[in-house]
Amino acid sequence: MRFDAIWFRYARRAGWTLRAVTAAVEPGQTVVVLGPNGAGKSTLLQVAAGVLRPTRGAVRDRPPVVGWVPERFPAAQPFTTLGYLRAMSALRRLPETAADHWIDRLGLTGHLHTPLGDLSKGTAQKVGLAQALLTPPGLLVLDEPWEGLDAASRVLVPQIVAEVTEAGGAVLVSDHRGEIAGLPGAVHWTVRTGEVHPEQQDGPVAADDVIVEVAVRRHEAAEAVVRLRASGHRVLGVRENAAPEEAR
Amino acid sequence: MTALTRMRLAGFLRSGRALAPLITALVVLSVLYGGGSSPAASAYGYSAVMLFPVLAWLTKLVLDTEPDVQRHLARLTVGPVRESTAGLLAALALGAVVCVLAMLAPVPFGGIRGPLPGSGETALGTGILLGVLAHMLALLGAVSLGALAGRAVTRRVLPGVAVLVTGSVLAIVLGLRGSFAPWLVPPVMATARELSARTPPTAGTLLLLGGWTVLWCGAALGVYAGFRRRRS
Repeated sequence: MRFDAIWFRYARRAGWTLRAVTAAVEPGQTVVVLGPNGAGKSTLLQVAAGVLRPTRGAVRDRPPVVGWVPERFPAAQPFTTLGYLRAMSALRRLPETAADHWIDRLGLTGHLHTPLGDLSKGTAQKVGLAQALLTPPGLLVLDEPWEGLDAASRVLVPQIVAEVTEAGGAVLVSDHRGEIAGLPGAVHWTVRTGEVHPEQQDGPVAADDVIVEVAVRRHEAAEAVVRLRASGHRVLGVRENAAPEEAR
Repeated sequence: MTALTRMRLAGFLRSGRALAPLITALVVLSVLYGGGSSPAASAYGYSAVMLFPVLAWLTKLVLDTEPDVQRHLARLTVGPVRESTAGLLAALALGAVVCVLAMLAPVPFGGIRGPLPGSGETALGTGILLGVLAHMLALLGAVSLGALAGRAVTRRVLPGVAVLVTGSVLAIVLGLRGSFAPWLVPPVMATARELSARTPPTAGTLLLLGGWTVLWCGAALGVYAGFRRRRS
């Protein structure tokens, strides 16, 4: 899938939210979109998914099945979890039982008959994930998927991302909470004032390079990666702390 | 598409938003039929006129019930054309129910009657058929107007209400006899006039009214589709 010189603004008189975005996402690739609040991350993801139409330019070769997990799940609907997921299955012409696998896996079994409006933020987010995965997506767009999820559920996101990419799907995910450590093979894009900088593959380490290991707070990880790259350093990887606190 | 239409109908009916337009329709109909009886064609012609704004309002409510994000999700799932069409179908279905109620409303009031002997008025059966036609034409126009007033087009509350109110008022004002631009609005008033004329409308007149409605709705829905494509 390619972004072909995309410009986007929300209204004719508004400033450009995205400027001259040209980038490509390969099948099986995970792209983490980084950047400060208001930089245009969410807009970029919505253009990628096809929710927003670019003002200029075009998104080419978008896979036919797109799963989109919006930043905030639209919970103001008079359906229960089960009723909603069944209705969304019917939209995709799937049998009623299509959502059962995801209901089970995302731990929604206890909330089947709860009205969407009464769900906690994290649980609603899981319903959003479930509806996006009903048909295996060729493109999965996750807008801050960790928002509101508890620790036990947070690990599910990288698992699901891995499954989608292994099946040949592409994944775009935005993150400002430093969960990117869980997505080791991901490519990072940085959005800054509407411009997208696909990070050049941080090339091989030269003979006179040294490697500095840096520990950063989880919620500052994304920002740290952006800052280090902005100052010309190459970021070789982001990983979870190998020795969890309890073990020390 | 039927699945999405069903989902929208379920969402709308459970939201309880149907109550206000339904009560309004009942008030309008009781005012219309409360004061004695008139020939079926004439009564139904004016019932269609009075329901026009209510049906347009109902359409706006049906289309606006769904949160924007859910509309985007549906659009990604079934495609833009089906998503737009499903909303219009849901509005048409509910509007048709209101029209059936409106057709039945004069029964308890004794609001319609057959021709008076020797008056040359239309037979009761013909009058009822003409009434069905008048309601169908009004419904098509109202759904098109309501769609243009929907949040997906107007984005904010005030412009949406403005489109709805202006459209409803113009449909009546520009539909008056001697109007300078009757073709700017759907022919609800023209239909009512034809139905209450002393002689029943000819087939040619009915075709003209039908064609006028279809063309007007085609133009309005064309504009709607254009807005939806740009503001996806």
